[in-house]
Amino acid sequence: MAPPMIDPALFDQLKSKVEEDTLVRKELDQIIDELAQRVSYVQGVLSRIHGTPRSKYPSFLSQVEDGIKQEVETVKKLSEFASKFPYYKYNFKWMRFIQDAVSTVLLCAWLGGMGTDSRPGEVGRLLTLEDIGEIFQVPVNLKGQDAFHITIEEYLHGLVSITDELSRLAMNSVTLGDAAMAVKISSFIKDLHAGFQVLNLKNDSLRKRVDSIKYCVKKVEDVVYDLSLRGLIPKDE
Amino acid sequence: MDEKHHLEHKSANTDHKVKDMATKRDWQGNTKGHHGGGPKLAPRPKQNIVKNAYTPMFERLRDELDQHHDRRDRLGKASRDVTALSKKIIFSLQRVRKIEKDLPQAIQTEVDSRLSEIAKLLAVIAPEIQGINRYRYERSLSCLEELIEALTFCHYIKTQTLASLEQMRLAVEELARKGAVPEDEVMTGVEETAPQPEKTAEKEAPTVSITEDDYLYGVFDLTGEMMRFATTTAALSGGMASAADGDGDEPRTIVQDIQEIGSFIEMLPLRSGHRTTWEKKVEVMRQSIEKVEKLGYGWKVRGSERPAGWVPDLSPGDQGDLEE
Repeated sequence: MAPPMIDPALFDQLKSKVEEDTLVRKELDQIIDELAQRVSYVQGVLSRIHGTPRSKYPSFLSQVEDGIKQEVETVKKLSEFASKFPYYKYNFKWMRFIQDAVSTVLLCAWLGGMGTDSRPGEVGRLLTLEDIGEIFQVPVNLKGQDAFHITIEEYLHGLVSITDELSRLAMNSVTLGDAAMAVKISSFIKDLHAGFQVLNLKNDSLRKRVDSIKYCVKKVEDVVYDLSLRGLIPKDE
Repeated sequence: MDEKHHLEHKSANTDHKVKDMATKRDWQGNTKGHHGGGPKLAPRPKQNIVKNAYTPMFERLRDELDQHHDRRDRLGKASRDVTALSKKIIFSLQRVRKIEKDLPQAIQTEVDSRLSEIAKLLAVIAPEIQGINRYRYERSLSCLEELIEALTFCHYIKTQTLASLEQMRLAVEELARKGAVPEDEVMTGVEETAPQPEKTAEKEAPTVSITEDDYLYGVFDLTGEMMRFATTTAALSGGMASAADGDGDEPRTIVQDIQEIGSFIEMLPLRSGHRTTWEKKVEVMRQSIEKVEKLGYGWKVRGSERPAGWVPDLSPGDQGDLEE
């Protein structure tokens, strides 16, 4: 007798694969939703920086750090679950939220938060990708092992986000009477801008966002220009 | 300090204008030529990069990203080649007129030579898509879907069955492995690629793995090929393609086969990802099935009008006339 057109076992094999995939996505959606909530809260707290004078930074930053602890917790949960499956099969689902989580940590550290015993926080400190990995307790830029990690692209997206936020802060810090902050931001953003020029970016979403840094540079340059014109730049920098 | 910047910029601009009449410029306004045969300008000259505290970090990240982009480009190129070769295999196979265990010799030779080219390409890309990189470059590997289409189609016109996921995995692994071996043996057909007990070689050489999606999307495209095959065979040989010689009562034909694939796919649980692509593919598949059903109907109703004892001309002699 001729063999059947389709081996009956094939259906069950594929069916169980599709079902497994659906379950994984559902579980991921839940964890990612929690991450989104927590990141969004920290972003909200961080937005208060624009009305916070520098003398109040310590208490402000400790509130941010509390929020970040929550982010770290969820990222850990995500990492444990996602590492059971091929990383790049599902990473598009959480990429955006990890980028945002990274940017909250970068900004908090730049403002002087995220200090440790060995490395006290200070204004203007830029965390590297490796620092970010340590904070979230996950690997970074994995190339061999297939597990959850934070990618270079996610880190760079996070960097672009903080230039945006800091360029806004340059203006607001002047309003709060802190011209030194604006000057500091200006030189930081210019340095970052020069740094991004080093990259050979493809025509992707990162490229588009990096292209927007020049507007941040212009924004802070305008602020510094206003200050210098009126002799408002502090001399001790 | 900033003011100066702006001023400098302006004066530089006006300078350009004065000279513009005489000097050729590229799109960025840099002077072109007249450099005494110096090296060509870099494709994207950066405004002279100022080194600062972050430059080393960015340079490190750039090198990492470049590696990734280069690999993706290489895979994309190989993938395009595999796709083109797979399409050529399909064209060759569409010249077959009958479901039969052995392909006509000329066609088998064509298929084999394409397969050995594919094998070499697969062997080259295999080390680049191991482990974490398999899904990272998934979108650059659309050729696998096309390859599955060619392989399942070949399997179908030889055996009148749908090759299973496992069979396809083994076939592609085998191809990648053969491609890695320097040419000494002639490539055999797809069905002969049963796993050989060479465990040592198999363990060491990286191979190309097939995902469920590669397979399923390949099977979708197979229905399109089956439709074309059913149409040609019906037109040229006047019957519905089937492996049976016709002495059995009601032999299974391509009509039932394509219907069975259709139901098979529609019975699978709904997927939560890529749903629109999936639905589009299902739609195309349904159209193919309906076309084959119409053919089957036409054959049933009008087929009997053919003169008794009429035999389709299956001599391989006129094969050449059909080749495009």
